[in-house]
Amino acid sequence: MPYRLDQRPWRQRPAEDAFAWQPPSPGQPAATITVATWQRRIGAWQQHLDSLANPDRTWLLFEPDPIEFSAAMVAIWERGDQLVLPADNQPATLASLAASGVALGSLGSQPAPGSGTSPTWGTAPLPSVAVSLYTSGSTGDPQRLDKRFDQLDAELEAQVRLWPLEQRRVISQVSHQHIYGLLFAILRPLCESSPFATQSCRYPETLYAWLEQCREDECGVALISAPPALSRLPEALSWVAVREAVTRIHSSGAPLSRNASDAVFDSFATPVHEVYGSSETGGIAWRTQQQGDAWTPFPAVEVDTDAEQRLWLRSPHLAERASWQRQADRIETIGSGFHLLGRADRIVKIGGKRLSLTAMDQALGALPSVERALTLPLARRELRLAAVVQLAPEALPHDHASHRAMVKHLRQALGARFETPVLPRYWRFVASWPTNTQGKLDVDIRQRLFQDLDDRRAPRWLGEQPTATGWCVSLEVPEHCLYLDGHFDSQPVLPGVTLVHWAMQQASRLFALPGGFGGLERLRFPLPLLPGDRFTLTLALRDDGERATLHVQCDSPRGQHASGRLPLRREVTDVDG
Amino acid sequence: MTTTALEHELKELIIETLELEDVTADDIDPQEPLFVEGLGLDSIDALELGLALQKRYGITLESDAESSRQHFANLKSLAALVEARRVK
Repeated sequence: MPYRLDQRPWRQRPAEDAFAWQPPSPGQPAATITVATWQRRIGAWQQHLDSLANPDRTWLLFEPDPIEFSAAMVAIWERGDQLVLPADNQPATLASLAASGVALGSLGSQPAPGSGTSPTWGTAPLPSVAVSLYTSGSTGDPQRLDKRFDQLDAELEAQVRLWPLEQRRVISQVSHQHIYGLLFAILRPLCESSPFATQSCRYPETLYAWLEQCREDECGVALISAPPALSRLPEALSWVAVREAVTRIHSSGAPLSRNASDAVFDSFATPVHEVYGSSETGGIAWRTQQQGDAWTPFPAVEVDTDAEQRLWLRSPHLAERASWQRQADRIETIGSGFHLLGRADRIVKIGGKRLSLTAMDQALGALPSVERALTLPLARRELRLAAVVQLAPEALPHDHASHRAMVKHLRQALGARFETPVLPRYWRFVASWPTNTQGKLDVDIRQRLFQDLDDRRAPRWLGEQPTATGWCVSLEVPEHCLYLDGHFDSQPVLPGVTLVHWAMQQASRLFALPGGFGGLERLRFPLPLLPGDRFTLTLALRDDGERATLHVQCDSPRGQHASGRLPLRREVTDVDG
Repeated sequence: MTTTALEHELKELIIETLELEDVTADDIDPQEPLFVEGLGLDSIDALELGLALQKRYGITLESDAESSRQHFANLKSLAALVEARRVK
């Protein structure tokens, strides 16, 4: 029988139970972490928290390592203190939270590894609020949400009824700082006595290696994933060879495309169980698309709708479980389930005219060669609309002229239905939908897509993909970039030095660089980039401990624009920093 | 076709004022309509452009919409307006 959180499974589970699974890594075979070993980490955290002054008894925890995360979480609960999970560790997020609690984990200090000690179980009651989370901010500024233990236990109970883990190893590709990852990748394995992997699994190549090991061990895997990962499983890896290991797949954060759902099903012979919900509402419904695209509400969740097609919810996952609450999403009920119709509140005024962004998105999305579209107003540019448009690969503009032609074509097509002033003015054409690891096009990504409007030194960012050795970033040379040589000449070009500068900027965002720019090696610029050119920067970091080098390659459909290496100069890190 | 210095200046003014991020000076044909077809500008752009002309050249436009429309027809007519009425 699974435990409820209010039974404190961390105290109850047998000491020799497998608490976590350490996947194999080069030079290190796979291993099992027992409950006893993990409990010593709880003890270490208890001692550590005792040593910190915190009169408000609120702790901010950001910790990617699930063992340390869960140990710190339990140590905080055992004190009856307040646990707050920042959504990310971006400087702006942290600055906004700095006054609300003491930072722990990778944000602050943590107990030295190896200095574990037996935990002490006292008599303090569990805190009334189990955890405070933040919304993703995809529909506005991030908001704080408090979850009680009874809400979390209601969700866990619904999930275990539908999809018991039954000793499966849990491999997660999402962050446990958010509700979905917290429930599926941490709390469920804890309560259901199933081991979780000791690291999250970011890359498909890593996933493949771990699944090979699980198949050898004849151990089933529950994969906790999201649309960004599931829709980008490389076909070059033979998933069929490891499919036996995968006996459950979950996805949440955003709807998975039907194509991706089918492709995953073909690869693994296991359907993707998608979960629809939000940080506010918790889980609402689920579906497997091979059975249809309608959503089935969770067992204890009641769903209704009104004349405006709004979703009404009564759910034990909500803060007030007895009352019906109206949501911003619109639905159409069908049998005991429903179809999602989009959000109701995307009405804006553009140039004084009321516009439904949902209607504009649908009109754009219905045009030939448009795969997905999102229109949005930009801060400080209230008069004008911006659009992010995913195009079929062959339709992607690759230079200034084709970009202008595509914009003209789309504006003309939309002009049939909308007045000219509400047509999007700022266009970002992407090859795949840019999202964070939760599958959301969030505030950060929005800012990155349109950053070049406010910063004439920035490239136009259009998305990025992990590669086996690093990252491949899609960029455009903005037509009015300040770095363009001879702006008034007939043929301005982007100087090679700017490309190097952009490569370093992107790399320092994407990698933990061990040092700053330290020179150029074998750098060639065979073909200059022109204003409006779309190109990719392929970046790989090689670090053998002594020498760290950034490998850079820049390509476009016209050819290779640059290749070479940038040695990194190691810096003495500021100890106080 | 040759572009006069004033025409070039006006191209830059239009691009800057209206924040036409993907338009370069070469894309603006002096004979082509600025509004609806051609560059695809609209009523909000007309207002902003009027303000910019006022600020840069001290030009005041007639309140009569029909004559404004003629001045704003294309870059050539806009340059003619500036030549004739500029006070700075």
